[in-house]
Formats: sequence, C-alpha cells, structure tokens
Amino acid sequence: MSEALLEVRDLRVAFAAGGREIRAVDGVSYQVEAGRTLAIIGESGSGKTVGCRAIMGLLPDTARISGSAQLRGTEMIGLTDGQLRKHRGQDMAMVFQDPARSLNPTMRVGTQITEAIRTHRKVSKSEAGAQAIELLRLVRIPAAERRFHEYPHQLSGGMRQRIMIAMALACRPRLLIADEATTALDVTTQAQIMELLLELQAELGMALILISHDLGLAASYADEVVVMYAGKIVEQAPASRLFGTGGTVKMRYTRALLDAIPHIERPAHAELPVVGGRPPDLSVLRAGCSFAPRCPAAADDCKEKEPALAEHAAGHRWACWHPCENGVSA
Amino acid sequence: MAVPINDATLATAAPPLPSLVDARHLRTQRVGRALRLWVPAGILILLLGICFVLPLIVTLPSSTSGNIIYNNEAPFSPGHWLGTNVQGVDIFSQLVYGGQVAFEISISVTVIGMAIGCTLGVTAAYFGGWVDAVISRVLDILIAFPALVLALVIAEGLGPSETHVIWALSVFSIPAFGRIARGGTLTVRGLPYITAARLSGTRAWRTIARHIMPNILPSIVTFSLLGIGVTIILEGALDFLGYGIPTPEASWGSMIAAGQQVLTAQPEYVLIPSIVLLITVVALNTLGDALRERWGVQ
Repeated sequence: MSEALLEVRDLRVAFAAGGREIRAVDGVSYQVEAGRTLAIIGESGSGKTVGCRAIMGLLPDTARISGSAQLRGTEMIGLTDGQLRKHRGQDMAMVFQDPARSLNPTMRVGTQITEAIRTHRKVSKSEAGAQAIELLRLVRIPAAERRFHEYPHQLSGGMRQRIMIAMALACRPRLLIADEATTALDVTTQAQIMELLLELQAELGMALILISHDLGLAASYADEVVVMYAGKIVEQAPASRLFGTGGTVKMRYTRALLDAIPHIERPAHAELPVVGGRPPDLSVLRAGCSFAPRCPAAADDCKEKEPALAEHAAGHRWACWHPCENGVSA
Repeated sequence: MAVPINDATLATAAPPLPSLVDARHLRTQRVGRALRLWVPAGILILLLGICFVLPLIVTLPSSTSGNIIYNNEAPFSPGHWLGTNVQGVDIFSQLVYGGQVAFEISISVTVIGMAIGCTLGVTAAYFGGWVDAVISRVLDILIAFPALVLALVIAEGLGPSETHVIWALSVFSIPAFGRIARGGTLTVRGLPYITAARLSGTRAWRTIARHIMPNILPSIVTFSLLGIGVTIILEGALDFLGYGIPTPEASWGSMIAAGQQVLTAQPEYVLIPSIVLLITVVALNTLGDALRERWGVQ
C-alpha cells in the first residue's frame, strides 16, 4: 500500500452557483499503484471527471477544493499553475473524450507532439522531431513519417485519439488519466485504443485511471473499480471480484447499472431494464443515502441515515444498508 | 496484442470511378469561386498600383494647385485625363493623391486597431475574471459613443492633419477588433486542445501565440478588410466636413465637398470621386466575403 503512486484522500470539490453550494465531489478516497489500472465509473454529473480535474489543477478558480491528492508523495491540491507546470506532462497526463477537438486544427500533428516534448525537455527541434516520430510508432500509427506532416483534419477519429495519446505520453508520465477516451469512437476502434493503452501501460509502467460510464469497459480492462454516485464512492472492489462468473456486486446502484447493460441472450424486443428516476440535485443536501429515491430496496433507515463506505470484505468496500445478497438483484 | 490498423490511403489507388456530378457544373462552381476572390483582389491591386506606383512612373500634374486658365476642362481633355476642377486642378491627380491618403489612413487605422484591439481582446478573454471585466467595460464605453461624433471631437481637438485623423479613427477601430478577438478567443479557449496545451505544461503566452492566435486569425483578417472599407468612408466623411486632411492637400472627401457646390451644373465633380470610393469599398467588402467563404468564418 505504501508504494501507491497516487493517493487521494477525502477529496471534496464544491462550486457556488446561484447562491447555492453544489458538492460535485464529496469525500472521495482511492489510490493507484504504478502499473495498475483503476476505473472510475459513474453517470454524468457523478463527479468522476471533476475529481480528476481537481487533481490535475484544471478546475476554474471558482471551485473550492479540499482534501489531499499525493502524487509520489507530493501534494497536488493547492499548487499554483506555475508549480503544477513542472508535474503536468511529466508526472501526469490526460487524454480527453473528443479527439476531433483535442488537436489544434491549424498545426501539423508532428509539430504539436514536438512542442509537447520541447516544453519539458531541452532538446533540439530535430531531435524532438525524431522522438515524435518514435512516439507515433509507439502508438502504432502506420507511415509515421508521413502522418507527422499532416493536419488533424486529414486523420480519422481513432488516429487522432492515437495522436492525443502520443502527446500525452511525450514526456513518459507516471500517471495517465483517460477521461472517456474511447467514448467518441466506434466499438472496434475503442477496443484497439484500449488494447494500445494497456500495452503502453505495461511497456512504460504507468498507472492508468479510466474514467467512464461504461461498466463493460471497466470489467474488461481495469484491475480496480470505483463506482461513484452523486459525488461519493458507493462501491469499490477489484474488478475480478465484481464481474464475471462468481462476481459479487453489493451496492444496488452498481447492480442496477450492470442490469442495464443489454445482453445478447435476452429475448428480443423485451423491455430494457433502466435505472429509474434521475440523478439527485447536488445543491440540495439531504440526509440518508443519496441513491435511496431510486433504489428498489430502499427502507426507512436509508432515508434517515447515510451509509458509510466501509470495507465489508477483503478489498471490497461498499456503502449500503441493504446490500444485494450474493450479488443478485432484489 | 493490438490489432494493426490498415491505412486505407496507403493501399494502391483504385481506378477513379465515373463522377456522379456533371463536370460543367463543377467547373462553373470552381470558376465562380475563383472569380469571387480574384475580381475584387484584382481591382484593389489595380487601385493600389494607380495610387502608389503610377506617380513614380508618370509625372502627373499637381494635385494641389492648377492654372485657372485651364479650369473646368471636360474629362478626356489633353493633359488632363479626367478634366480639371473650378480652380484648374487636375482631377485624376487629386484622385491619385487622395487615394494615397485614404489607403494610408485606413490601413494604419486598421493595423493600429488590430494590434491594440487584439491584444486587449485576447488578454481579456484568456485570463477572464476582473481583467476581462475591466477591459470589456472600457471597450463597451468606446463602442457606446457615436463613432463619427467622437472622431469629430478628437479631430477638432487635435487639429486637422493626417496623423490626427489616424488617431481619431483608431479610437473606434480598437474596440471593434477588441470585441472580435475576445469573442474568438472565448470560443477557442473552451476547446479541449487548449486544455491539452495547458496540461502538457505550456505557458500562457505560448498557448496564446501558438494555439489561440492562428485559430482566430481568419476572422480577424476578414474583419480587417471590412474595417478598411468603413475607415475609408469615415475618413471621407471627416474630409467632407472639413476636419480631415487640411486643404489644399487632395482627399476624396474634400473633392466631393467641393464638387457639391456645383452639383447641378457639373455633377461629375461629385460623381467621379464617389464612384471611385464606391468601387474601393465594394471591392474590400467582396474580398472579405470571399475570404470568409474560403476560411469558413462566421
């Protein structure tokens, strides 16, 4: 446990909007070790992206952040932009969802990667260029020398995402955060990009955080899974414990998400199970479990007292008063 | 483990398929596109050539004084291509030197507006917060003044001279460019590649120079062409009202003002400079539109 690359403890992010406080992230703790993959799963507005952006120092000044996020023992929360610049790119990097808009349309892709290298390393332009072509090969871009001189609009979505990954890897970061990095891509490209990320992770020994709303993605590629709901972690366990045969999902929100995944064995034209209701309004603080209004097993105690996230089984933490028995839906 | 991706464009090219669109239709489109750009561009190059290069090659009659004996000569008279005015001054020379003044002033005003306005606008939008609030309010106040009245007050206060006209007109080219630059920066700033640049540790000024400026440049260049047109008209208005270029220096506005006194008897004194002014401004606007079409600027 002591060798954790990133250790987040009790991270809280709040925004003031329209005279009300919105708690986007509310007391989140997790850690990632080098060479491991953590998936943060949750629906829109569950605080998964905001939490990571807080660590990267990307939130606007209006965000109020408390708690701690230590990257290799260095506290990241509270650093100024100037102090963060040293860590960005070298210690941590990020890949975004939208490959179409993540590259500067007026610059050749090679130049963009070269500049990313030269921001941190004092190398000549030609040497950085050679390294950039090497990076393009690393992310399996065919005809790297030619692609180097092309503009983003000449590339496909999957290629652009590879370029983004190449840029993020330019300075061999120890932590890579992929924020919905494959969501905008079609399924085959998605699989290729994920395979690539895992290969690169093994090659470079990086820690990888996958932010996604896709439980399937987490099941296939992550070592550890964190499920977030309304700014809080509701369940956390090794992926092998949650998914596959003999998987034991405890928290009912995770269960509901799993049930909502369409299966090929289901009878055709049957109604698809959905998570009823809407995500809670984060500006209204109420007592009790935040999932209670949508939970099929909610009882009176759920509405009165909030369940704490506690380690109930080895490596498996969940926050629920009435967890699923043997991972089966009620 | 990763599946190698096939680069379709690397494969040997298949023979081209027969086109579904009529070739003549395509050609008409291409020619129209080229004409929309090169006709106004050609007119402007011609005008600039006549104003700035021709006087170096050919000795033109004086544009400030003339012999009263040769006054009121009709166009196409010997020695005077477009005739002379009431004082016997050559009209073509007046147009050429007036045009020099018009282009000098409008281009200077636009360059000043672009330099100062863009700096202010980009700074305001990029840094936001109180910086944005202060700069935007100052620009708003400048925009709120009626342009011509403000220019008149400044020109009156400073006294008539070419430099003073430039400063007077810059007062409203600066906020106009400021707004365009601020709007463009706000749009670009929210895009992921700016965040990506920040994330890779790029400094603010470098992000502005490499990632923001190239992306807002098309809209600024397009706007500057329209701005030159507007400035030429305003400069003409100042001259017309007597607050611009001091007499006897030639300018298009003062030519129109002088001709206006004999409008019914000799309308060509008003018509000739007006038509030249019209052609110049229309050429600038259509060139701006053609560039906008090519660069996809809104």
